[in-house]
Amino acid sequence: MSFEKFIKQELTGWMVAEGEHADIVLSTRIRLARNLQDHLFPISATFEEAKRVSEVVNQAVDTIDNQKFTATDMADLSTLERQILVEKHLVSPQLTDPKKHGSVLLSEDETISIMVNEEDHIRVQCIYPGFQIDQAYKHADQVDSELEKSLDYAFDESFGYLTSCPSNTGTGMRASVMMHLPALTITKQIERIIPAISRLGMIVRGSYGEGSEALGNIYQISNQITLGKSEQEVLKDLESISKRLIAHEKKSRELLLSKSEVHLENRLYRALGTLTHSRILPSAEAAKCLSDVRLGIDLGIIKNIDMTILNELMIFMQSGFLQQYAGEELTSDERDILRAQLFRDRLARKNSVEQQQDADES
Amino acid sequence: MLCENCKERTATVTFKKETPNDVTERHLCDKCAFYSQTFSFSPDQEPLSIQQFLTHWLDGTDLFSDQKLDEKVDSGPECPDCGLTFHRFLDIGKFGCATCYETFREQLPRVFAKLHNGHTQHRGKIPASLNERFALKRKLEDIRTKMRYAVDEERFEEAATLRDEANQVKQQLDAGGDDQHVI
Repeated sequence: MSFEKFIKQELTGWMVAEGEHADIVLSTRIRLARNLQDHLFPISATFEEAKRVSEVVNQAVDTIDNQKFTATDMADLSTLERQILVEKHLVSPQLTDPKKHGSVLLSEDETISIMVNEEDHIRVQCIYPGFQIDQAYKHADQVDSELEKSLDYAFDESFGYLTSCPSNTGTGMRASVMMHLPALTITKQIERIIPAISRLGMIVRGSYGEGSEALGNIYQISNQITLGKSEQEVLKDLESISKRLIAHEKKSRELLLSKSEVHLENRLYRALGTLTHSRILPSAEAAKCLSDVRLGIDLGIIKNIDMTILNELMIFMQSGFLQQYAGEELTSDERDILRAQLFRDRLARKNSVEQQQDADES
Repeated sequence: MLCENCKERTATVTFKKETPNDVTERHLCDKCAFYSQTFSFSPDQEPLSIQQFLTHWLDGTDLFSDQKLDEKVDSGPECPDCGLTFHRFLDIGKFGCATCYETFREQLPRVFAKLHNGHTQHRGKIPASLNERFALKRKLEDIRTKMRYAVDEERFEEAATLRDEANQVKQQLDAGGDDQHVI
């Protein structure tokens, strides 16, 4: 199978370069944590009890109008299939613990994923491409309100929605925006910004997760507080902080460009060269170069590459996807070689899968 | 002012640590503040840090400082539904079930205040089934606040009207059932 065909069938709604500020904001995610009254939380529940919760939730999801969900038990998937769901950000790594009775309900376009028996009984997650905080919340909220009609949520007048972790109690909402901030990183301003943002009740962290450094200059900004503020207030805070970061990033980009255009150009084109000519491409290097090329496109220095291709590559360069494509387990070296092949192949095409599809049809 | 830690750069961040007895302040520069333990930022640590945070708190002076020594070994209230003790809750940083909240109700505001910037009261979405009752309660609070202002400012006529209004809402609420029913 060609890379193109493979990507086409694995593509998920949030990966396209759409939405406001799509050049800097990759995606917006809302997560609502809910629990059922009269059932022990997953942390203390037996396997049988977790199974009952899953049945109750599945029934409730079935009653949602106008939206179809497909339920999948984690236990029915292979390790690789579970890893792919994690890499697509549709489930959390915690859900995939095979000893627990975790399952996920996915909407047709994979915009909504309802995780069952993660840390909480229910986690409604909604991912939108670009900067779409209000839209993403509205969608998640609507699913939550539908579920509430047939489920007895654990709720308390003073503490709000009761969650397993006290850091989620209240709204149970975690809203996050994934941002590409290369100029703030290059100019080291991000080091000063991160502690400042923490003081405002928000957290900034690298998006690929582990490691203190944000791989590929991609950061995730999310709210820390779930108690004492309404969802709207938290979303507004997140929006204003994100907007300030976007403005700051844009200014830093202009500054970089005006101060050292040739040096910047050199760096960005070298990155493109690495991506289009490597024969062995480790993931850290790929992430770094992807960031540079993305910046090059945003600044108009690199032309004729579609941003959506970069979004696709960011997801499909991960080890789970590479192995899925290969149809077998790969060693780390083999993955690096296949990754290099994937980048060469995709970047040579210059058009994203979706556009190619349009062109084919017309 | 110079940073108390490195004594090189200007102090731009102030850490305030409040204990029941006093308040201590530390003045640090951005860099030291960033790396400082009290303000530790580590991206992959987020869910864990709550655990660590609560555990630290346990061996610290905070919660049990006003208790006698022999009470320190006491594991606190125990949840009748899942068997979690307050001590164990601080240890693992997770509730075992919805009833835990009821069991630890007295202790929780302090836990939440630390985790949520001093907030202990939910202000967000309310399940629709509870909405009506809740709306009434908030309305009642609202009227009572206005009434207090009116009395303070000696607008007695207005206060009387507000009192009647409050009584009306109260009646509606009482008709709605058991006031103690919270969950």
